[in-house]
Amino acid sequence: MKKITTFDEHNRMSTQDLLQMINEAVAAGETEFHIEASGQHDIGGPLWHPEGKPLKFVVTNPGQRVGSMCLPGTEILVDGPAPADIGWLNAGGKIVVRGDGGDTTSHCAASGTVYVGGRVGTRSGSLMKHDPLYAQPEFWVLKNCGSFSFEFMSGGIAVVCGVDSEQFASILGARSCVGMVGGTLYFRGPASGISEKDVKVGPLEADDIAYLDGKMDDFLGSIDRPELRAELSRWDEWKKVSPLSYDERPKKANTDTWSFRTNDWVKGGIFGDVCNDDFVVNGIVSNGTYRLRVPAWENARYAAPCEFNCTASIPSQQRFNLLREGKIDEAYRLVLEYTPFPGSVCGAVCPNLCMDECSRDRIDISAQIGKLGLHSADVTLPAPIVKTGKKVAIIGGGPAGLTAAWELIRLGHEVSVYEADAKMGGKLEQVIPRGRLPHTTLERELQRIADMGVKFFNNTKVDAAKFAELRKEYDAVVATSGAHIPKIIPVPGKERIVPGLEFLKAINRGEKPAVGKRVIVIGCGNSGMDVAVGAYQLGAEQVTCIDVQQPAAFEKEIAHVEELGGVLQWPVFTKEITPEGIITQSGDLIKGDMVIIAIGEAPELDYLPGDMKLFRGCLVAGDDYTIGDGLFTAGDTIKPGRMVDAIGAGRQAALSCDAYLNGEEFVAPIKTKIPAEKLSTAYFKKCHTCDIPEAKEDYLRCISCGTCRDCHMCMKSCPENAIDRKTLADGSYEYVSDPKKCIGCGICAGVCPCGIWTLRENAEPIAMYKTYEN
Amino acid sequence: METMRTQEVTANDLPWKIEHNTLRCTMCGSCVAACTFNAIEAKMERRSVTISTGHQPEPMQQHKAIPVIMQKNSLAHHCVGCGMCEKICPNKAIKPVRNPDSRLNMLARSGGAPIKRGGRNNLIQERTFDKIIVGRISQMTDPSLDAERHSFDLLAPFGRVLPAHKLPFKQENGELRLTEKTPPVNWIYPLIFSDMSIGALSTRAWEAVAMAVGYLNEKHNLPVRMSSGEGGMPVNLMKSDYLKYMIIQIASGHFGWNRIVRAIPQMKVDPAGIIIKIGQGAKPGDGGLLPAAKVAEHVQAIRGVPKADLMSPPNHQGLYSIEESVQKMFMSMNAAFKFRVPVAIKCAASATSVSVYNNLLRDPYLICGGFFIDGVQGGTGAANEVSLDHTGHPIISKTRECYLAAVKQGLQGQIPLWAGGGVGLTGNAAADAFKMICLGANGVFLGKLLIQLCGCIGNEQGRCNACNTGHCPTGICTQDPRLVKRLDIDKAAQNIVDYTLAFDMEMKKLMAPVGNSTLPVGRSDALVTTDHAIADKLGIQYAC
Repeated sequence: MKKITTFDEHNRMSTQDLLQMINEAVAAGETEFHIEASGQHDIGGPLWHPEGKPLKFVVTNPGQRVGSMCLPGTEILVDGPAPADIGWLNAGGKIVVRGDGGDTTSHCAASGTVYVGGRVGTRSGSLMKHDPLYAQPEFWVLKNCGSFSFEFMSGGIAVVCGVDSEQFASILGARSCVGMVGGTLYFRGPASGISEKDVKVGPLEADDIAYLDGKMDDFLGSIDRPELRAELSRWDEWKKVSPLSYDERPKKANTDTWSFRTNDWVKGGIFGDVCNDDFVVNGIVSNGTYRLRVPAWENARYAAPCEFNCTASIPSQQRFNLLREGKIDEAYRLVLEYTPFPGSVCGAVCPNLCMDECSRDRIDISAQIGKLGLHSADVTLPAPIVKTGKKVAIIGGGPAGLTAAWELIRLGHEVSVYEADAKMGGKLEQVIPRGRLPHTTLERELQRIADMGVKFFNNTKVDAAKFAELRKEYDAVVATSGAHIPKIIPVPGKERIVPGLEFLKAINRGEKPAVGKRVIVIGCGNSGMDVAVGAYQLGAEQVTCIDVQQPAAFEKEIAHVEELGGVLQWPVFTKEITPEGIITQSGDLIKGDMVIIAIGEAPELDYLPGDMKLFRGCLVAGDDYTIGDGLFTAGDTIKPGRMVDAIGAGRQAALSCDAYLNGEEFVAPIKTKIPAEKLSTAYFKKCHTCDIPEAKEDYLRCISCGTCRDCHMCMKSCPENAIDRKTLADGSYEYVSDPKKCIGCGICAGVCPCGIWTLRENAEPIAMYKTYEN
Repeated sequence: METMRTQEVTANDLPWKIEHNTLRCTMCGSCVAACTFNAIEAKMERRSVTISTGHQPEPMQQHKAIPVIMQKNSLAHHCVGCGMCEKICPNKAIKPVRNPDSRLNMLARSGGAPIKRGGRNNLIQERTFDKIIVGRISQMTDPSLDAERHSFDLLAPFGRVLPAHKLPFKQENGELRLTEKTPPVNWIYPLIFSDMSIGALSTRAWEAVAMAVGYLNEKHNLPVRMSSGEGGMPVNLMKSDYLKYMIIQIASGHFGWNRIVRAIPQMKVDPAGIIIKIGQGAKPGDGGLLPAAKVAEHVQAIRGVPKADLMSPPNHQGLYSIEESVQKMFMSMNAAFKFRVPVAIKCAASATSVSVYNNLLRDPYLICGGFFIDGVQGGTGAANEVSLDHTGHPIISKTRECYLAAVKQGLQGQIPLWAGGGVGLTGNAAADAFKMICLGANGVFLGKLLIQLCGCIGNEQGRCNACNTGHCPTGICTQDPRLVKRLDIDKAAQNIVDYTLAFDMEMKKLMAPVGNSTLPVGRSDALVTTDHAIADKLGIQYAC
């Protein structure tokens, strides 16, 4: 046995010196030590006897870390209290303290035993571990622990007996077991503040009792307090602390805001008075009401450019659609709904405004609508079945009047046309050169009108008296007498001027009016060109056409005249007509022995009552083509125009008249041209000129702007299969999108070649917000 | 109808987006098989369109479904950009691409838990080292040395160095004899392989580093030492001769010391040193963190813990002052090995480091054998991201300040200064070490570079940094046997050995022109910087 006193009167052994002394003694074989310490640290470990014999220490007044890193085979008895870190990193020794212990007692002990017969300080038992190769470390405390006890404990058994600790609210101190992941703690007495997120507290079970019961005697004997045996063996006074398993441990805050909103929060939501919100969460793609945009199928809402440009509003895209569907006859008949002159006007003299802005023109060339008219020569429409019993008189058998007649007869009225000339047809018959309009074509079309039941009264000029008669006899009168009074410039020598209108009429009547050798034609419109051509045909040697402005004639007509040798001059202002020719304002003489003028005509209106509204010598009609009650007008009487203008106006006047006769209201139709960007031209291949089909096969190229061509692209492209094609009672069809399936993507609008499907903002109101609770 | 809610997570919210080229992909399955993060999957992709092929609109429906590799829209399994898919793809058909619009930061705190990851600081990108250059070249003034021909002495102290006048010598018969024991000092290589714990690293990676150390010592006489990290030591190593190359660490969790203590009686040799780890540069204030996924059986055994998230407190409990640290920890660790093994202390660099160093310098017991300071650019296996990115202190000026504080008191060199934290970050460890030594460090320590030499593909720009997940694709910091076996232990050790041999040569290449054949500790006159602020702060020359 080696006794070491670490101090004499004035000198105190350093820790280093004491430990080295112990090391040397152990190495020399010493097994038992009595040490009177004076605060030296780390007494007792790690030590091993060279022959493996047990080592025993009895120590008084140790410093910190008595028994630290203590190896198995070492026993230490501290006779009295010991300061902090008793048994730190205990690796298997037995350390007994008969007194209080300091902070962090048994800190990081991984095996061995620490018995304290008193209280221990803060953080005791913290970071205790269990090396699975060896028995668990054990740490018994007779009384109580300071705060943060057993922090981060990961193994081992701790026992806090609670003796002489009634004055403490918690015998484990505050905030015990924070971060505890392993091991077991038994305690007896009041405890609070044990970390709930790390451990659970419960009663002892059989093997817990077996352990405590089995070890109690060794503990009490070591600390010399055997009399406490009975008091400490009332097992129902004990509790057990076990760490939560990895799965039991709440790793995340279980935030349940749904329950909170449903149960605790303001009922109905804080906006309940001004808002109806069911708090349902929509996905970013919806059906039905919550679609951002919705599609609309708007067939024929817009006019095709051809339909729009044609003043007779002929929907040529529908004609091509019918041809595409193989309904040839129906296709050729369709134009007759709008004009009785598809051959004479569309196919011959019309400048074909329809083709000017054909969408196809942006791809290759426009659809050949004009030529299509020629195929309608031999078809006709069915005669009306129901007669209205109303009678309508039409004054003037020109394109305006005859178109009105054609429309009114098919609406079931009785129609009579009064024409001053010997033949029906107006300027078509009387003035347009046969070269431009084959007479057989015109005669066939006039016959078609007659065959429909229109009564023709030729050679009947309507004067004021006749007019009054007609007004009495008929239910309505349409005054379409055109404009046949040639305009003459009021210059000296004007009596020498031959009106071009008369000249052409004479030609068409088969007379061969005389022409001079050098003819001057005033006016370079188509009429002027017709006059020039006529003059050449009748033997003129040179024709000079003059105009005050750029010639308005078609290029084709100008070219024809120039080919014949004619010359156009402009601007030329006529000052005087002389036998030698025309003297211009600038003093030049244009030689000519005949001057013909073709600068337009004015209407003759004296048969009408005096209260007619006039403007520049022409009638002013309402939007409904009326100039009086039951009195209608159309065509050149209102404004000089093209054939197609007269035809379009004639039809509208007829429809207005029909409404009048039926006591209904007539609303003049408004056309909107389809915006070009709605069409998908990408489908269509650009054709080489040699691949352009004939007019009647041009349905291969017509896009069908604004009118559904029933191609099914939308139906087959809709990603949700929401589009169906429905046949309606009248045999027509429509495409319908089912709001329950549609997601408002707009693919239908994107792929529609004709611009029928349109995607718009969803205007369906959703009653989510209100101004007050009700 | 397929839809999604605005608050659902999709690839465009995640930090890396997978680019997959269907046209090149040959569906070999390698990428999905290789991905350790389960971030990609094979799926069928619908290609269903209606086209028109004639000259007029005529719908023709084309429907097909083709297999593709898709990224999972998952926070839990998000791509970290490790690039294993790109590495293994035979056809260059797949790769991860950084997503500058990542919303991970907004989404990853569900359940109220802060974001955790591994790796290193991703915010600080400066490299003061790269603005300092060795600008004083011995040419005509004092002779410069030849790195190839001359002999150099690259040794740094680990242990308390007594000043000459305090050495307990007595003259006897014309010889100097020591009268007392002096504190233990080991003269080692100025490069320490820094602490990466068993548990943070896989067994193969840890052993590769240890093997490299053994190799460098035994085959090349380079006295490199390795710190164990805070996860304990393998018993077989402690019982072998190679223990003399190891520095054993004790950190706030005190993990693994039961086995270490029990092994002491069987140790054939002493370890090279002990390091008390108080803090770590990568995540100061955040203690050790080993997620449960990485607490495999061997870790449980060595550390003495169950399978649980292991969080060590950031502080050592029971240490409440510097003096107490000296007296308790230093004393205890010295005593454990009977005062034969030098003990040093490692702290995270901090605004307070100079005060700490000054206090240690006053240690009257001569038991403080080294001050290791760890800077903000150091690495870690797991930390709270807020600590990783937002706590820490740059290392260069702090080391310099500590050194100059010691110089002011005439105490330089007595408690050796070792600096680390981003040394070798760009792969230029020798240059970094040399400059650090010139500024006053006795040596440097590094860890991250070693695992990069083992194959780690993480970087400071958010690539991988998933060391905490247990899914390390290279098998370096995981305990999953399927991944650990991906690591070629011999190649890893070889890379470390080769790098260190090159380091040695490069150090000499820098020592030679400044004319030093021993380590130029404190030779800051050799350094020059093109940055005024750096010149002022470090007290070195400014040049432009």
